[in-house]
Amino acid sequence: MARHDDGVVTVGRSRIGTFFANTTGIVFGLVMIFPVYWVLNTAFKPDSEVRSFTPTFFPNDFTLDNFRSALGEELFIPSMINGLIITAMAVAAALVVGFLAALAIARFSFYGRKAIILIILAVQLVPFLALLIPLFLMLQGANLTNSLVGVALVYLVLLLPYTVWTLRGFISGIPRELDEAAMIDGCTRAQVFWRIILPLTGPGLVATSVYGFIQAWNEFIIINTLNNPQKQNLMAWLLYNQTERGTAWGPLMAGAIITSIPVVVFFLIIQRNIATGLTAGAVKG
Amino acid sequence: MTRAARPSFCRAGGTPLLTVEEELKMHAVDSRPTPADTPQAPPPRHVSRVRNRSQRDSRVAWLLSLPTLLILIGMLGYPLYRMIVLSFQNMRLKELFSGATPPWAGVDQYTKALTDGVFWGVVGRTAAFTVVSVTLSVLAGLGIALLMRRVHAKVRIFMMIAMMFVWALPQLVAAQSFRWLTDSDFGVLNYVLTQLGFDYATHSWFVNPWEGWAVITTLVVWAGIPFLAISLSAGLTQVPKELLEAATVDGASAWQALRNITLPILKPLLMIVTTLSVIWNFGLFTQNWALRDGHPEPVYQTLATFSYTQAFGRSSYSYGSAISVITVLLMLGVMVFYIRQMFKIGEVD
Repeated sequence: MARHDDGVVTVGRSRIGTFFANTTGIVFGLVMIFPVYWVLNTAFKPDSEVRSFTPTFFPNDFTLDNFRSALGEELFIPSMINGLIITAMAVAAALVVGFLAALAIARFSFYGRKAIILIILAVQLVPFLALLIPLFLMLQGANLTNSLVGVALVYLVLLLPYTVWTLRGFISGIPRELDEAAMIDGCTRAQVFWRIILPLTGPGLVATSVYGFIQAWNEFIIINTLNNPQKQNLMAWLLYNQTERGTAWGPLMAGAIITSIPVVVFFLIIQRNIATGLTAGAVKG
Repeated sequence: MTRAARPSFCRAGGTPLLTVEEELKMHAVDSRPTPADTPQAPPPRHVSRVRNRSQRDSRVAWLLSLPTLLILIGMLGYPLYRMIVLSFQNMRLKELFSGATPPWAGVDQYTKALTDGVFWGVVGRTAAFTVVSVTLSVLAGLGIALLMRRVHAKVRIFMMIAMMFVWALPQLVAAQSFRWLTDSDFGVLNYVLTQLGFDYATHSWFVNPWEGWAVITTLVVWAGIPFLAISLSAGLTQVPKELLEAATVDGASAWQALRNITLPILKPLLMIVTTLSVIWNFGLFTQNWALRDGHPEPVYQTLATFSYTQAFGRSSYSYGSAISVITVLLMLGVMVFYIRQMFKIGEVD
């Protein structure tokens, strides 16, 4: 049967067992996806269907009103623009700064290298929210609260350790023999960097910046604490919106969808690569 | 030279990563404990020209790392120091506005926390939530990963797609969707339960803390399963088929094969994903914050929200800092364990 070619282990396989496994798998998938479906379902319903004691499992009256009213909210578009600006600044800065450090860790053996690796690893585990109090006071002192730059600075620190760590992996993946061959041919270290390492790290830079985008875009506690309502991002807008008009579920879900779209799309794009990368690595091993 | 031989080479050719955990996982999957074939590039000491060059290299390397280090020191190291100092002071709104140095308070903030039943309640609640949620999500993740090996290829793809969407969903959006599902008036959960014959019409899920925490835990486990299941299922491909077949031929039951073959091979990866889950879930903030409308009642406070509420809700910046310091100290053991584990599996060379 077909299921024997799909490369799964055949230990303890019986017909009933397989049927049971497949059913469980389908039920699991449906349960997992249901909340996501419910957000979509709600966003396309008119308010009368949303606020109904007998919820409809498909929108009877398909409507885009909720999206219109979310987009029409006073602070929605400004929040979106703020989010884009902050994210772009933080990701770009993290990429430039992080790439240099990644290069050092991946390509040089020097005294203190292990210490830097240890710092990079440890820093990723620090619960960042714990530092919010002193960061708030510092930025307040530097007049950087209620500013996009202040938030971008904090996000930069949030992204930097991960950026260094990931780029390090990509750079280590480039065979050193390439560097050495180029140097024998008379390239300087700088030329090796520009002509070999940087072009070959391209995909890594894309993946890292996409992940950085997701991180910065999804953040809302820091920006909510540092800035006034006029200088929030979309995620924080969702939280505000919830608190002030908690019952407007339709527009809230529509806003949630608009906010999630870039993240989900980006995530699914790089995730595909991960899934293949994972199995490839596993098979190669 | 040594790196080229490692499987990580394939990643340079356009197989980007997603998170650092992803990478750990990959290496956990990839790693073969063969320290012998990954020696450090030994500095050739015998040629003086080479030595000069390696000294120069060292300078260049430090120069390259400098911006990163400065940012980390300025925006992480210094705040950490400020936080510790702050926890020994008594900073309130007055000092925030006047910019004056807050009065010293010695260990008052710590005494206040450690002698406060409310604080201990928060610690116990956070710890209990972490244990329960991590146990549930790791077991579920492992179960799903094992299940994915037994199902038809099409079912497996469906499971993957469902999990990818859940994984991609921003935490806050996921929390909002659960808030909506469990809404007392129009939530679909109450409707379905009522249809099934239970009286859940206009039932409020957050009046009884056990029920409320059940909702929060479900949300966290649901959102955590994709990472765990997909990581572990990648890890499972490392288990040699021949071993499992041999075991079956020798009359081992499925359970024995799992216990004696699969789990030992999976152990390093399992340790890492469990540790990460502990670190993440111990810092629970978004989910209880959003589900409780940004004002968690005392029974829904965790260490992270408690510290935040003290500082930004009540302007007790010093008390909030002291709680943060205690939180970090509580997590320190887990973090050290994680980093040691990373060194052990050879991720850090």
